Amino acid sequence: MEKIAKEMEHFRAPVSNTLRRRSPFDQLLDHMGKVRECINILGDGLIHYYNGDYEGFSELAKKVSEFEHDADIIKGNIRNHLPSSILMPVDKGRFLWALREQDSILDHAENLVEMLDMRHTKIPKELQPIFIEHCKLVMETVEAMELAVESIRDLVETGFVKREREHTKQYIHKVHDWEYIADQKRYEMTRAVYKLEKKLEPMDVYHLLKIIDWVDDIADHAENVADWLRSMIAK
Amino acid sequence: MDFTLPVILIGGSTLAIAFYVAWSIGANDLANSMGTSVGSKALTFRQAIIIAGIFEFLGAALVGVHVTKTLRYGIVDPKATVFIADPILYVYGMLAALLAAAIWITISTYFSLPISSTHSIVGALIGFGVAAAGVSAVSWGRMIEIAESWILSPVIGALIAFFVFYIIKKTIFDADKPLLSTRKVVPFFVFAIISVILFSIFKGIEETNIPQIPLIYALVITFSVGIIAAFISYVLIHRKKLIKMETEHEEYKSIEHTFIYLQLITACYVAFAHGANDVANAIGPLAAVVGYLQFGVIGSGSGVAIWLIILGAVGIVVGLSTWGYKVIVTIGQKITEITPTRGFSAEFSTALVVLACSRLGLPVSTSQVIVGAVIGVGFAKGIVAVDLKVIKSILASWLLTVPISALTAAGIFICLRVIIGS
Repeated sequence: MEKIAKEMEHFRAPVSNTLRRRSPFDQLLDHMGKVRECINILGDGLIHYYNGDYEGFSELAKKVSEFEHDADIIKGNIRNHLPSSILMPVDKGRFLWALREQDSILDHAENLVEMLDMRHTKIPKELQPIFIEHCKLVMETVEAMELAVESIRDLVETGFVKREREHTKQYIHKVHDWEYIADQKRYEMTRAVYKLEKKLEPMDVYHLLKIIDWVDDIADHAENVADWLRSMIAK
Repeated sequence: MDFTLPVILIGGSTLAIAFYVAWSIGANDLANSMGTSVGSKALTFRQAIIIAGIFEFLGAALVGVHVTKTLRYGIVDPKATVFIADPILYVYGMLAALLAAAIWITISTYFSLPISSTHSIVGALIGFGVAAAGVSAVSWGRMIEIAESWILSPVIGALIAFFVFYIIKKTIFDADKPLLSTRKVVPFFVFAIISVILFSIFKGIEETNIPQIPLIYALVITFSVGIIAAFISYVLIHRKKLIKMETEHEEYKSIEHTFIYLQLITACYVAFAHGANDVANAIGPLAAVVGYLQFGVIGSGSGVAIWLIILGAVGIVVGLSTWGYKVIVTIGQKITEITPTRGFSAEFSTALVVLACSRLGLPVSTSQVIVGAVIGVGFAKGIVAVDLKVIKSILASWLLTVPISALTAAGIFICLRVIIGS
C-alpha cells in the first residue's frame, strides 16, 4: 500500500491509473510471491500432517485458500488489463500460459489441503519418511521455479542480454532436475504403498495413492511454469 | 495610438489569450519533454517543475527573444488585400487562431495526449487565413513540412533511440562486469550529451542572443567543454567506492541510479531548448497583435518585447505545474514503464535528432520525436510493454491537430467578424 501511495505522490495521478500500468513482469512476480508464501506454509503443514499431527490443519487450509484467492485477483488483473494490442519483448500468449500454470500450482495446493482436511488419513509409520522426503522434493521444485521466475526481473532489466538469458536457463534446468527426482520418489512411494496393501484398509490405500498424486501435481505444474518461461525467452 | 475602448478590449483579451496559450503549451508540450524524466523517477514532479521553471526562463531570455518570423507573418500573408483594407481583421484573426490552437491543446491535454503545439498553431493560422483571405493567402509550404514531420519525427526518433539503448545494452548490461564498465562508459556519454547540448545552443537555434561564432570555434569550444565535463564525471564516478553487490539485481539498480544524473542533464537541456524555441513560437503571433496595437501597422519587423516572453514563460511553467501531470503520465507510464537508462536513451536521442534535423533543415517536432524515441527503446527490447492502444490514439491526435485547429480558428474568426460586424 505504501508503494502505491508513493507512486501516487510521484505522478499525482488517480490510483486506478497507477495500478493499471504496472509492468506485466512485475505483476507476474507479485503473483509468484503469493505462490511462495502459500507453498512455504503448505510444506510445513504437510510434514505435520504426515507425522500424524492434525492440529491447526483446518486453519492452514483456510490460509491456503486465502492465498489462492489473492493470487486469483492478481492473475485476473494481469489478464484483464493486458491490452490486446501491446508490444512486449516476449510472446504475450506464452507469458499468459506461464501465468496460468503458476496459478494452477495454487489451485492444486488448495485442492490438496481441502481433500486432506476432509479425511485425516493416518500415514503408516514405515511410509512416513518417504512421504516427507517426497514432500521436500516437491517444495524444492517449486522453490527452483520461484528462482527461475525471479530471474526474469534481471532479464527484463538488462533488455534481454545473453548472460541473463543463460542464468534464467540454468534456473529452468534446475526445476527440471528437481521435478525428475520428485518423480522417481513418487514411483518409489507408490511401490511402497502397494507393498503394504494387504495390511491397510482399502480406503486408506486409495487415499494414500491420491495424496501422492495431489502432492506430485504441484511439482508438475512448477515444471510447466519453467517450460513456458523457457519458450517465452526463446529467441 | 489612443487608448480607445476597442484597443483596451483587444489589448486585454490579447494578454488573457497569451497567458492561456502559454498555459496550455506548458501543460502539454513542456510536460511531454519532462515526461521521461518523471516517468523514470529521476525527478519527482516537483523537481521537474523547478528545473523546468529555471531553464525555461533561461532559454526564453537568452535565446528566445529573437523569434523566427515564420509564425508571425510567414503563414498568413499580412500584405493580402483584405488585410491592407482592414488591418484590424488580421488582429482578430491572430487572436482567433491562438485561441483555437490553445483550445485544441487543452482538449488533448484533457485526454492526456501529447501533441505538437507548433502544429496546432500553424493549423489554426491556416484556418484563419483561408477563412479571411482565401486559399491563396496561406503559405502551404508549412503544411507540407508538417506532413513530413508526422513521418520523420517519430521514425528518426525511434531509430536513434533504438541505437542509443542498444549501445547502453551492449557496453553496460552485456559486459562481463556491468558495474565496472558503467564507470568506464559513463564519461563517454557525458561527453556526448554535453557536446550535443553545447553545439545545439551555439548552432542549433536560429537567431539567438548568443553571439554567432564560426563553426570551427563552436566545435572547439564544444569538444573541449565536453572533455572537461567527461573528466569531471570520471572523477566523480571513481570517487565512489566500488562496493561488491550481493546480487546482480542490486548491480542493475545501481547502474540505473547512475543514469539518473545523466537524465538530470538532459532534462535541463530539454527545458532550455523548449524555452528557446517554443515560448517564441507561441508568443510570436501575439507579438504581431501587440505590434499593431503599438504602431498601428501590421508586419513591422520589430522583435518581441521581453515582457511578452516572460509572460509566456510564466504561463508555460504554471501550465506544467497544474495540468502537466496528465501528459507526463502518458509519456512516462502509460505508453510504457520507463527506467533511467531507458529515459536517458529517449531524451538523449531526442536532443540529438532535434539538433541534427534543425541543422539539416528537416522539420521535426520535439513532442513527436520523444514519443518515437520511447517506442524505439521498446523495439530494442528495452521496455517491457509498449501499449499500442495509447500509441494509436496519440497518432490519431497528431493527424487531427491541423484540421481541428484550422476549423476552430475559422469558426472563431467568422463569429468575431459577425459580432463586431466589420
